[in-house]
Formats: sequence, C-alpha cells, structure tokens
Amino acid sequence: MIGILLTLFSPIIGGFIYGFERIVKARMQSRQGPPLLQPFYDFVKLMNKRPMMVHSFHASMGIMYFISTWFAMAVLMMGNDLLIAIFFHVISVLALAMGAFSVRSAYSIIGAMRELIHLASYEPVVILMVVALYLVTGSFDIAVILTSDVVPLYSLPLVFITFLGVIPMLLHKSPFDIAEAHQEICGGPDIEYSGPFYEAVYTARWIEYVYVYFLVFLFGGSNYFLGAVLVIFTFFFINAVDNSTARLDYKKMLKFAWFILIPLSILNIFFVALGGN
Amino acid sequence: MESLIILSIAFPIIAGFAMYLFKSDWVTFALSCIMLPILTFAAFSIYDADLPLFIHTPALLNTFIIVFDFGLLAYFLWLGYLRKSLLVSILAVLQFVLLIIVIYMAPQVDTANIYVDKLTAMMYLLVAIVGTPIAIFSAKYMDYDEENKHTFVGIVVGFLGVMNFIVSVNNIEWFFALFETTTLASVIMIGFRGDKEAIKNSTLALWMNQIGGVAILFALILMIKDFGVYHFTDLWILDRETISMAAFGFLSIAALIKGAQLPFHKWLLGAMVAPTPVSAILHSATMVKIAPYLLLRLSPVIHDTLLSKLLILTTGFVFVVAAVFALTQDNFKRILAYSTISLLGLMMLAASVGTPTAVSVSIMLIIFHGFAKGFLFIQAGVLEKIFKIKYLKDMGQLLEIAPLTLMFIFFGFLNMTFIPFGSFVGKWIMIEEASGLLSQGSSVLLIALVAIGGVFLSVLYIKVLGISIKHHRFSEIKIAPQPKSFLFVAIWYYLWLMAITIFIAPFIANFVGSISLAVTGSPDKIHADGLSLIVGNSTLYFWQILGALTLLLFIHIAPLVFKFKNVDQMHPYNCGEVTPREAESYDFNFIGRYENRLNMIAITLFLFVLVLGGQLL
Repeated sequence: MIGILLTLFSPIIGGFIYGFERIVKARMQSRQGPPLLQPFYDFVKLMNKRPMMVHSFHASMGIMYFISTWFAMAVLMMGNDLLIAIFFHVISVLALAMGAFSVRSAYSIIGAMRELIHLASYEPVVILMVVALYLVTGSFDIAVILTSDVVPLYSLPLVFITFLGVIPMLLHKSPFDIAEAHQEICGGPDIEYSGPFYEAVYTARWIEYVYVYFLVFLFGGSNYFLGAVLVIFTFFFINAVDNSTARLDYKKMLKFAWFILIPLSILNIFFVALGGN
Repeated sequence: MESLIILSIAFPIIAGFAMYLFKSDWVTFALSCIMLPILTFAAFSIYDADLPLFIHTPALLNTFIIVFDFGLLAYFLWLGYLRKSLLVSILAVLQFVLLIIVIYMAPQVDTANIYVDKLTAMMYLLVAIVGTPIAIFSAKYMDYDEENKHTFVGIVVGFLGVMNFIVSVNNIEWFFALFETTTLASVIMIGFRGDKEAIKNSTLALWMNQIGGVAILFALILMIKDFGVYHFTDLWILDRETISMAAFGFLSIAALIKGAQLPFHKWLLGAMVAPTPVSAILHSATMVKIAPYLLLRLSPVIHDTLLSKLLILTTGFVFVVAAVFALTQDNFKRILAYSTISLLGLMMLAASVGTPTAVSVSIMLIIFHGFAKGFLFIQAGVLEKIFKIKYLKDMGQLLEIAPLTLMFIFFGFLNMTFIPFGSFVGKWIMIEEASGLLSQGSSVLLIALVAIGGVFLSVLYIKVLGISIKHHRFSEIKIAPQPKSFLFVAIWYYLWLMAITIFIAPFIANFVGSISLAVTGSPDKIHADGLSLIVGNSTLYFWQILGALTLLLFIHIAPLVFKFKNVDQMHPYNCGEVTPREAESYDFNFIGRYENRLNMIAITLFLFVLVLGGQLL
C-alpha cells in the first residue's frame, strides 16, 4: 500500500526535494534562493506555454522518458526484485537517448552520447551494489532488505562510498554533470524540449531523485532512522560536492568509475564473501 | 521415432543435393518452403517423445564415416596446396596422422553412436524454426546480382542437416568428422563469391577451425588412453574425483575456437565477406552454436573443477572485450558479429558454471540469441540488397527510406539486451545465480564480468539505434516495397520473438527447465507462477514483463505512429548559425590501441585453460 502511494506521489515528493535542493544550494552560495514551491510554479508555467516541438518522434520520446522513469519507480516500490528495478532504469535511458539522437542538433547528439557514457560508468557500480546488498541481507527482495536485522551499511562501507561517487552521475550533478553540461552543450538531451514536453523530462528528473534516494535508504536495512540519516547526509553531501567542484570531462568520469569505484566495490564484496565463509 | 530423427538429418542433406542438381527456381523454392513445416513437425515430435534415446547404427556407417573423414582431410590437404597455405596443409597432415592413431587405438565399445536427448531435440527445433527460414530468405536474396544461386541455397540447406547430425552423435570420433564437415561447409560458404578477400578469409576460417579439429583428436587420444571410452554418455559416468582433465581441456579448446572466442575471433569476422545469409546461418542456428552445445555436453563432468573456473574467466573476459570492440566498429555486420562473439562468451560462461540454473541460462541464451541474430542478419541482408546500406554512417536517414526495416532492427536490438526479453532474463538469472555462489570467492569476478559486459552491450545497442534514427527530417516516411519472402521471414521471427517473450515464464520454466533437467540431472530454481517468472526467491512479475514490453513496443514503433497534431514545429537550436553543425557519434577508436594487449591476455587465458585446466603441468 505504502509502495503504491509512494509511487503515485513520487513526482510530487521529487518536486519538493528539488525545490529544497535549490534553497540549500542557494544558501551554500549565500543567496536567498527560490521558494520551496518554485518547481511547481515552473510546472504550471511550462504547461501553459504554447507547445512546440522539433518533430513528433522527439516529443514522444520525452513523454516516454517520463512514463518509463515512473514505471521504473513503480517496479522499485511494488516489485520485489531490486535488480529488475535497476534494469528498468535502462529503458528510460533508452527513451531519452533515442529522442536526443533523433534531432538535427549537435548539442543534443553529443548529450545523448554522453548519456551513454554515464550509463557505462554508473551501471556496473549499481549492479555490484545490489549484489553486495544481496550478500549481506541474503535476498534481492526489497521488503526483505528493509526488514533484515543486519544493517548493510556496517558491512558495506566501501560500497556505500562508491554509491556516493555514483549519485552525481545518476542525477547529473557536478563534477559529473557531463551529459547536461549547461555551459558547454546547453543541457544536452534536454535542449530541444520545450513547454509541456520539457515538463515531462523535467518531472522525470524529479522521479529520479526519489529513485536514487530510496536506493540510499536501503543501506539502513531495518533501521529506518539510520536510513533517514543516510538519506539526509547524502543529500547535503551531494549538494556540497555539486557546489564546490568543477565539471570533469567524460574520460575522467569513466576512469573514476572504472579504476576506483568498481575495484572498491569488488574489494568490499570480496571481503564480505570471505568473512561469510 | 528413429525414422523422424533420420528424416531430420537426411532430408535437408538430400534436399540440398537436389537443389544443386536440378538448378531450378521452382525446386529450390518449393523444397526450402516445404522443409519448414516438415522439420518443425519432426523436431516437435522428437521433443515430445520418450527421451533420451540410444540408436545403434550398423558397422557399415562407422566405416563410411571414417572413409568420409579421410576424404575430407585429403580435400583440406588439396585446398592447402591449391591456396598455397602451408599451415592448412600441415594441419591436415597432422589430423591425418592423429586420426590414424585414434582409429588404431580405439577399442570396441557397444555404446550406441547416436544419442538423442532433450538438448538435441532443442537444437533440432532451433535449426527448424530459426535455420530453415534463412534458406527461404536466401533463395530470394541470391536473385539480387549474385551467382550460383542454387548451389548456395543447397549448401545452406545441407548445412542444416549436418548441424542436426552433429548434435545427435554420441561417438566423439563421429563428432570430429562432423565438426570438420561444418568447417568445410563454412569454408565453402565464406569463399562463395570467389574473390581474393573471400578466399583469404575462408582459408583463415579453415585453419582456425582445423586447430579445433586437432584439439578434438588430441582429446580423443587422451580419452582412449586414460579411460578407454570415447562416447559422451560414457564420459558422464566416470568418477569425477579421480579422472584426468586433459582430454576435457582439449575439448574445451575446440569449443572455444568454434565459438570464435578471442583470439580466434577473426574467422567469424571474416565470414561477413560472404553473402549475408551465410552470416545469418552461421550466427543464429548453426556453426557457432556447436560451441555452447559442446560445453553443455561436457558440463556434467567439468563443473566445479579448475578447468571450469578458467573457462569462466576466459569466456567472461571475451564477453566484456568483444562488446567493447564492437563499440569501435562502423560496419553493421561487423557490429553484429562482435556482439555474437560477446554473447557466445556469456553462453559458454553459463555452461561452464554448470549448476542447473546456469545451464538453463545457457540454453535460453542459445534460443533467444538464435532468434534475434537470425532476425538482425536478415535485416542486414535487406539493407544491403534493397537499400545498398552496409555502414553505420550511411544509416542516418534510415527512417525515411526504410521505416519497416528500421523497426525490425530496433526490435532485434531490443531483444538482445532489454528487459523483459530473453537475453536480459538470461543475464539477470546469471547474476542472481552467481550471487548465490558468492561464498566461493571466484564468483565475485564472475558477477563483475557479467555486469560489465552487459552494460557495454546496452551502450552498443543504444548507440547503433541512435545513429540509425539520427538527423532525419521526418519530412515524409514512405514504406519501400519488399519481396514477399523477405517480409514473411521477418514477420516469422518477429511473431516468434513476441510470443516467447510474452509467455517467457512458462517457456523458461517448462521448456528450458526440462532440457536443463535432462542435461544436469537435477531441477533448476526457475518456476512459473501463471505468467510470472520465479527464480529462487526473486520474481519477475507478469505486470513488469507486460509493462516493459508495452514501453519498448511504443518506443520502437513511435517513429511510425506518433503524430502530434496542433503542435507547431520548430527548427532545432543551432546557436544562431544558418547551416547546422553536424555532430557525429563517438567512434571509440582509442580502444583499438589496446587491441594487441587484450589479444595477448586472451591467448594467455587460452593457454591457462589448456595447461592448468587440463592439468597438463
């Protein structure tokens, strides 16, 4: 029941997270920042705009991106297998990349290619994270992970750290906001969307917030308080990093994911596997 | 039942000869069309029958196969002389000598020479349902400025019969003969166009596969010396604790070579110079599928040994590296070939793990990969002949000129990696199964390899799809007319893929599960609850399958159906420039720099399999 509710309201929750994030970021830069409800004001504004598109396929892919992200959220909340939920996320990447490739705009196409580099960087780490959670809690079932007596964080500190390293890639935050890169390629895959179609992409990003922070929450196991603390910590950490770092290029991102994060996760899994024997 | 098995083996071979002799359009077309229902019916009946089945053959057949073998080797020797390839000649002579030793040493055993179990029946089904449509396709394909149509279709059809034969033999000596026959067939088909490059590549395929043949002969000698048996069924009852692994090491090497694993992948890449149906038939139902088949046959003996661990390492490495290499390619058929090599790695990896669930994964990958690759290569042939497109860089306007073909290619690629299609389910179950094995440390690497390789394949397919819908203006979409047999074959594959995806849970649980039970002797962890798939404690619900399928169907037909009325169309943002800048996709050429180093690692792993896995030290 709570899963269904969370899924249904995930765009709204994500909107609030985004609004709060803008305030936090502004305060970190000694600015006042927009009101908490600013994302929703934007929503209304965008919906009332005259709809414009490059072509129908491109516009439809924006909507498919939104739907498939929401569906991935539903799978995460209501399905029982974490790995399946992770793989559902790839479908939304497919929709976004297809749309971005299909227009005759250099920015959009470069953005789409970079989106794929993002995928190659974060996906192995996330899969290894799921495997590590399985190793500790004995199940891929989200309900079991959330009720297990062991707290995954205590056995998987390195995996948690690698996941912290991956979140900027998932959410397009600096230093890994390479696919969006506003100053460079004007938003990459998002650039050609406008009005209601941009709203779809924009809302899909909110859902991704809920999706990612829910994965963080899993590290608390049955200790929901710890889970909540982890989510809050992660939130502030990611924003602090976002504010204080410059964008790297895609090669650095790949190298960071491949030569630091993946070995770290493997090391952690290896130790847990040896200890369990 | 025996008659149906003989029909499955002999009918395609005889039909192939008939096509070759009559050289009439009518005969070729009729025979290839009638073969589809006949072979499918025979395969279904055999699958349904009381299996496994041992068939004793007359001694005359044994003599015939030995004579045929020597004839074949003499032909190879002659080919080596003709093409001035010393390597081919030396290998042929070596095989000659080894074969004489084998025949001299081989004791009289009264185990039946033909053994048909569920795995064999599955391969029959694959050959019938996936392989035969390719014959129908090639009958039409060869009408487009190609020569010797009837000979070609005859060889394709005959190859299906040989494939049916090789999966039913129990005697490894016969297995060798048929192994070399498939080599011969592929050499003829690769060199079919007869130009310089075709001859060069077919010679390459010849000597590489001959090394596989030599490996089998070594295995035979060791087997006869150590255990005194040379039948698959006799090998399974040996005491696993005490036997020497040397023979199995050699057999695994033969499988790796047939499966075009690095560093022996060049022969499969070279196959693309031949007419496209050759690639379709080599990649989907025949030839390379012998590799996972052979490992599945060996898996009852080799699982949980050092050999299997090294095989896991080798094939897992290939799974990742071939996917990475595929990213650098521009030729559409080469991309498909690399992704076949990569997925063959995954199939063999699963077969080497050898637990019942892993064996199920291997079998389901063989099936789904067969369908998807057959489909994709058919479309590659259509692109080549009707639209004259061979390279990725020419595929930019595909939606405007070939919307239907684009849709089919899109669907084929979705089948190779996305949830809920079979290849994905295989990958998913493999990760879960490997996680269950984690208490034995080596599985960490296994999981990492499966996860990483899968991600690269996803990136590859999204990139290829992205490029093929890149930059088009959506001015007007027109559906170009296609010959009926092309459409028939495409829709045949499409519907099959659709059907087995929707009913994937019962399909895997009942069909694949029963085959895995026959191979390993114990049931796997996969069940079906209605249309939901249950693996151990995890469930892939039907609403998830249906949801993902609906999403992907929408995405892949979106270019054709979605039309927003009352929305103004705008030009994309070009930073104020009049002529838009064209952006190309990343070519990943820098990976080429590491190719030699990666090949060296692959060679090292090969030697490890042979020397350490086979306990030759």
